[in-house]
Amino acid sequence: MTALLSIDGVSKSFGAVCALSGVDLSVDAGSIFAIIGPNGAGKSTLFNAITGIYTLDSGTIAFDGRRIDGLPTFVIARRGIARTFQNLRLFGFLSAIDNVLIGEHARMRGTLVDSLLGTPRARAQERAARERARAWLDFVGLNDVGEQFARNLSYGAQRRLEIARALASQPRLLLLDEPAAGLNPTEKRELADLVRAIRDRGVTVVLIEHDMGLVMSLCERIAVLDHGEKIAQGAPAEIRANPAVIEAYLGAPA
Amino acid sequence: MHEFLAQLVNGISVGAIYALIALGYTMVYGIVELINFAHGDVYTFGSFVALTVLTALGVSGEVHGIALVIDVCLAILAAAVVCGVLGIAIERFAYRRLRNAPRLAPLITAIGVSFILENVMQLWQGPAQVSFPAVFANPSLALGPIAVTVKQLVVVLLAVGAMLALQYIVHNTRLGMAMRATAQDRDAASLVGIDVNRAIALAFLLGGALAGLAGFVSGVYYQSAWFFNGFSAGLKAFTAAVLGGIGNIAGAMLGGFLIGIIESFATWKLGGQWSNVTVFAILVIVLVVRPSGLLGTKPIVKV
Amino acid sequence: MIYVYVLATIAAVVIVERTRSRRVKLAILAALALTLAIVPFVDRTDATFNVLADAGVFVMLALGLNIVVGYAGLLDLGYAAFFAIGAYAYGILASPQFGVHLPFWAILFIAAACAGLAGIVLGAPTLRLHGDYLAIVTLGFGEIVPQVFQNTQAVGGPNGIAALDVPSALGHSFGTAAVPYYFVTLGGIALVAWVARNLGRSRLGRAWMAIREDELAAKHMGIDTTRTKLAAFAIGASFSGLGGVIFAAKLGLVSPDLFQFQVSVLILSMLVLGGMGSLIGVVVGSLVLSLLNSALLPNINAVIASTLHVNVDLTNYHFLIYGVILVAIMLFRPEGFLPNRERRAELHAAAITETSS
Ligand SMILES: Nc1ncnc2c1ncn2[C@@H]1O[C@H](COP(=O)(O)OP(=O)(O)OP(=O)(O)O)[C@@H](O)[C@H]1O
Ligand SMILES: [Mg+2]
Repeated sequence: MTALLSIDGVSKSFGAVCALSGVDLSVDAGSIFAIIGPNGAGKSTLFNAITGIYTLDSGTIAFDGRRIDGLPTFVIARRGIARTFQNLRLFGFLSAIDNVLIGEHARMRGTLVDSLLGTPRARAQERAARERARAWLDFVGLNDVGEQFARNLSYGAQRRLEIARALASQPRLLLLDEPAAGLNPTEKRELADLVRAIRDRGVTVVLIEHDMGLVMSLCERIAVLDHGEKIAQGAPAEIRANPAVIEAYLGAPA
Repeated sequence: MHEFLAQLVNGISVGAIYALIALGYTMVYGIVELINFAHGDVYTFGSFVALTVLTALGVSGEVHGIALVIDVCLAILAAAVVCGVLGIAIERFAYRRLRNAPRLAPLITAIGVSFILENVMQLWQGPAQVSFPAVFANPSLALGPIAVTVKQLVVVLLAVGAMLALQYIVHNTRLGMAMRATAQDRDAASLVGIDVNRAIALAFLLGGALAGLAGFVSGVYYQSAWFFNGFSAGLKAFTAAVLGGIGNIAGAMLGGFLIGIIESFATWKLGGQWSNVTVFAILVIVLVVRPSGLLGTKPIVKV
Repeated sequence: MIYVYVLATIAAVVIVERTRSRRVKLAILAALALTLAIVPFVDRTDATFNVLADAGVFVMLALGLNIVVGYAGLLDLGYAAFFAIGAYAYGILASPQFGVHLPFWAILFIAAACAGLAGIVLGAPTLRLHGDYLAIVTLGFGEIVPQVFQNTQAVGGPNGIAALDVPSALGHSFGTAAVPYYFVTLGGIALVAWVARNLGRSRLGRAWMAIREDELAAKHMGIDTTRTKLAAFAIGASFSGLGGVIFAAKLGLVSPDLFQFQVSVLILSMLVLGGMGSLIGVVVGSLVLSLLNSALLPNINAVIASTLHVNVDLTNYHFLIYGVILVAIMLFRPEGFLPNRERRAELHAAAITETSS
């Protein structure tokens, strides 16, 4: 297997806070990969670094063999990296289906003239996109909510909608920031099934998660961050037995 | 050289007025992140209040001795109080309801308030320029090679005095500290028991009062007032606040003086008709190149 | 009579908006278009069409500003600058001032392009700015443009350019009547409204909505936010350029004082009144405010003069009315009177949370 995402010596600090220091990480294509660590460890910052929200202090990030650090966020998205946010960032006042349709923007082609004139070609594209969007909603288990405002959906449904929106861009890498936060046990189980189904469609998944049970059962490899440093990486069994990890968690119970 | 110094002095005096107005923009922006578009008109309102008081006191030209002190104090007091209260009223009735609305909404409302104030003043004082009594005798004093008029001196002294008073209030009184805390983080401030509404009202009160003072000062300085003065003076003062770093009190003062000086030199070198264009061009350039201004800090993006 | 036309038009548009069936919609629109086209041949009072043609220009302007403010959520307070650029394009290209006499129809395209380009030139460096800052920068730009015209003697300085060419169509000069301009604005509105509607439903329109709601999330969806916002600026500006040409041609002159900040705010008020982001709302809002200005207030003046025997000129206070409209609507009905669904929810929700807390 080849590494789809490779992160090399990435550091990022905010004033005095060193959120990431010299993090290396390599994610194989086709895997489900977890990033864990106590609160404030730098996990979300790592996602933000990957999607180009922050400029790195040092280090490089490569996706599919090409450097992506320094590129604007929208270009990175178009290369095939989609994500969800720890604190949902749906387009709250747009319908669920519109949210998913916007997710397709990374893939849709169309000229300004098409948009201005509403050409038959544009309308045909639009219809097809709508079909696909419905399919994505079905895929994440959201039938019949298409026309509702995103903000009016239940919390669990909003989390799923965010995943559907991310999938709509047909990414090769999907970053999920705490997808199970706030979900009940049943919803968590459904989420695990959904993540596997996503992987089975050929999408590599990296997720940040605090629920150890979920992480251990779902993921093939795990990296542990603490105070901005990667303190361990390995298969679930190795991580469970790693003294440094145990200490990080005992030192700062999460 | 001579002309250069004269323009510099001129710019500093005009800049003092901009600085006083800019303080109101910066305090309000610092605490509620709103460009209080009506602030320039509050300043004009101050001119008219001062004019009304002076007229009632029978002042129509220069005044001397103790009468000068009394008249000036009363005019300033009235302008500052009325404008401070006007500021609070505007916040209470026009902006407070929209504190959590999309950012567009309060700004549009502010423009509306500005239009209303301008028209009210037009109804009250007419559409033409109104003349303002000289109040001070205005001989020119020689400070070494620099010629300074009494009025220029008065303008700058009053402005600097007010700014020192403001610094004291903001840094050394309980309410002032509540105001700064609210500007830092409104939610945290309300959690530790600060009355956020009062702190915000204070920002509008102080800003309004300073604008009132500026209104008096500019009336005396230009010997005229016009209902529409606030529009361009307000824009220039806002530019000053942005140049200094919006939300930053010292920055507003610095920016005010700088804009006054720049405008003065632009008028000298390019001609009066280009002075507005110069100032607005500076506004655009600063916002594009360094939106945090000279003394401001860069805001951080939270995800 | 003019009120009958306008009210009937408004009624027709509102019905079209509320009807579901596409056939019925098209039928009503066709009937409306036909009626509006026939009316001038029946009713020959020029004053009526004078007012309507002026109103028509403002409908076009408001539809353009709606792209920027309503769709993309970018507050542009210097919109009159683009209007000025369109008008001056006509002034320069169709007057004895420079001895250039291009045809009206060609200038329409040129002016739309110039204004669009100006939109890009202004937008490119400034669109990184957020919310209020963007608004203020556009305001600054809106002040600079007429000032530059005013300070440039080549374009007539403060006096502007007069004696502009009278347009002609198919070899017939427009002459001094307002009716030809009425037809031109009808066509202009139809074109601009159709384009705006297409945009609203297009990929680009959705990208605007995404940016309006959450710019950072939009970037993560692969949306090039800078280009997308530039497109809004350019398209909105080009509508304004079209309006400027018609305006200048009809008036026969251009001068810098016609494009002050107040004009930008007037157009903004039209949007706010009808409902930002709602095509129907914007059309109705701009018709209502235009008429208020040019027909209703003078009529009320006359009524007051004849009944109370006092002479007041309410038109002096129309900016007071815009101010009140802006404040009252933002406070009590921020979505305007004929809102679209997304904007109603978005603008209204904030007001509701505020009152309940
Ligand atoms: N934009 C920012 N500006 C300043 N500091 C930041 C910023 N983003 C993150 N930090 C700081 O960096 C550190 C790491 O934050 P990060 O959000 O990455 O943690 P996390 O591992 O995702 O934690 P959690 O489990 O709570 O989500 C924290 O100390 C945080 O306060
Ligand atoms: Mg996090």
